[in-house]
Amino acid sequence: MCVGIALAWSELPTDLIRRHNLERRVHDRGGEREVRFLYRDRQPRLPIWRDGRLQIVRWGNGRDQSRLLPPTGWTWQATVEDGYWRNLDAVLVDIPAALGFERGVWFRIRQGIRGVLVPDEHGVAVAYMICEPSSHYYQIMTRSSRMPILIEERI
Amino acid sequence: MGHLDADCFYVSAERVRDAFLVDKPVGVLGNQGACVIAKSYEMKAAGVKTADPIWEALVKCPDGIYVKRDFRWYEVLSRLMRDLVHELSPRVEYYSIDEFFFQAEVRGGRTFQDLAEAMRDRIWERIGVPVTVGIARTRTLAKLISDAAKPHGALAVIDEDEVEQFLAVQPVTEITGVAGRRAARLAPWGIATCLDLARADRRLVRKLLTAAGETLWWELNGEPVQAIHSRRPAHKALSRGGSFGESTADPMVLYAWLVRNLERLIEELRFHDVAAGRLTVMVQYKTGHTGAGGKSLVVPSDRFDVLLETARPCLRQAWMRGVQATHMHLIAENLAPRGQCALALFDPPSQRIQAEAVARVKEQINDRHGRFTLRSAATLYLPSIYRDTANAYDICDIRGKICF
Repeated sequence: MCVGIALAWSELPTDLIRRHNLERRVHDRGGEREVRFLYRDRQPRLPIWRDGRLQIVRWGNGRDQSRLLPPTGWTWQATVEDGYWRNLDAVLVDIPAALGFERGVWFRIRQGIRGVLVPDEHGVAVAYMICEPSSHYYQIMTRSSRMPILIEERI
Repeated sequence: MGHLDADCFYVSAERVRDAFLVDKPVGVLGNQGACVIAKSYEMKAAGVKTADPIWEALVKCPDGIYVKRDFRWYEVLSRLMRDLVHELSPRVEYYSIDEFFFQAEVRGGRTFQDLAEAMRDRIWERIGVPVTVGIARTRTLAKLISDAAKPHGALAVIDEDEVEQFLAVQPVTEITGVAGRRAARLAPWGIATCLDLARADRRLVRKLLTAAGETLWWELNGEPVQAIHSRRPAHKALSRGGSFGESTADPMVLYAWLVRNLERLIEELRFHDVAAGRLTVMVQYKTGHTGAGGKSLVVPSDRFDVLLETARPCLRQAWMRGVQATHMHLIAENLAPRGQCALALFDPPSQRIQAEAVARVKEQINDRHGRFTLRSAATLYLPSIYRDTANAYDICDIRGKICF
């Protein structure tokens, strides 16, 4: 499972950075600052594009904040296609990402990752990353059996 | 003579189309994602070496960014580089995908140093790939100089005194082809630097390093022996193969790889209009052992059915039951021009005509609809390899270059 993403600092509006206290997620790589969103963070968050606006929302339900939503941060594409999320008023969203992180491997993502956004019983927006079975290459690179669905790209 | 070598070429090529990767530690992964085949200088500084498995590279450079190799893109840039080198030189040798030898010529009051800088800058400005250029009296010297001037350097060393100073500080192991055992053979004679080798007795060098060593001796002394080949000499052998990515002991999977590599080899035989007189199958195992099987054909052939019948027993010879295999190579030797091969006594003409017709149809369909669109059903055991389009193209499929 892709357990983290990174975005260049310059990709995020200052307003969002301040509002969500993203400074603490900043890392330096090759002299360029980037913001890392990791699932293992005590407050896992994901950036999403919704209605043309970039937002920062909760990533999944790993800490059982909701009884309604599944206690994970990912969902299979097949589950989405089967209509599981339809009854929960979920919408499809894009998760912008420059890099993905899985089993210690940072890999380049050109556009982003597909996700679903769903409100929990308190009305809080929660994002899940959509996955599919790994490609041969991705499986060898990360030793993971599932990979995120990348936007207009296949690793 | 000039030598031009791209700096961390695959990474630079990725950076040409993806500025996000600039100045960051980047590794290009080959072998279907299993190991680093090229790394940026930032990743190199962290201790990552070419051919490191990814799990080792991750430990050395946890912040590294890994990208999938794309040989098709690298070839596009490589051919652009070759064309630019041609603009400044009448003779160019396409040595490898990122390395060229060229005839250095200057006119109109310009110097060799100007030429080296012009070539480096032109490629950087027009293509965006950093390269290093070395110019000297011989190929060996030019290569030594460009290696020493890396990265993104341009250096012409023509003056004999300057050459001598340069050679005095270069360990003899900097010369391509002198390492390990050869260097150990030279050490007792006090030959540690390139200058030591150049000053050594020629007969002694020949004795220690054979005729190849003597060639180096002449070249180090500024006497050009190795010419520039602007066209690739005819192949003595053709080979196809490589890593499986994931090791396997499954005989059906091994057989599928045999067929895949054979189909690639036949493409190459047909492109060069030659037929194989001998076929060798080599299988490398996780244990470090290599199994090999070889067989000569009754008459040289490029036919799938004939070559498969030849390759099958070779694979049986090379096969170690139950042992995990990692690589396979198929080598076609004793190449003969296709049209001049004798016909086999017990090969009915109808069968030969039919096989040729099938091969042509296969070629036409694959030309039009993509490589491996039509292929042997035996390769169905490798669905993930064929699903991933990156595997449709390998580095050794790049034609025209001299190095393998």
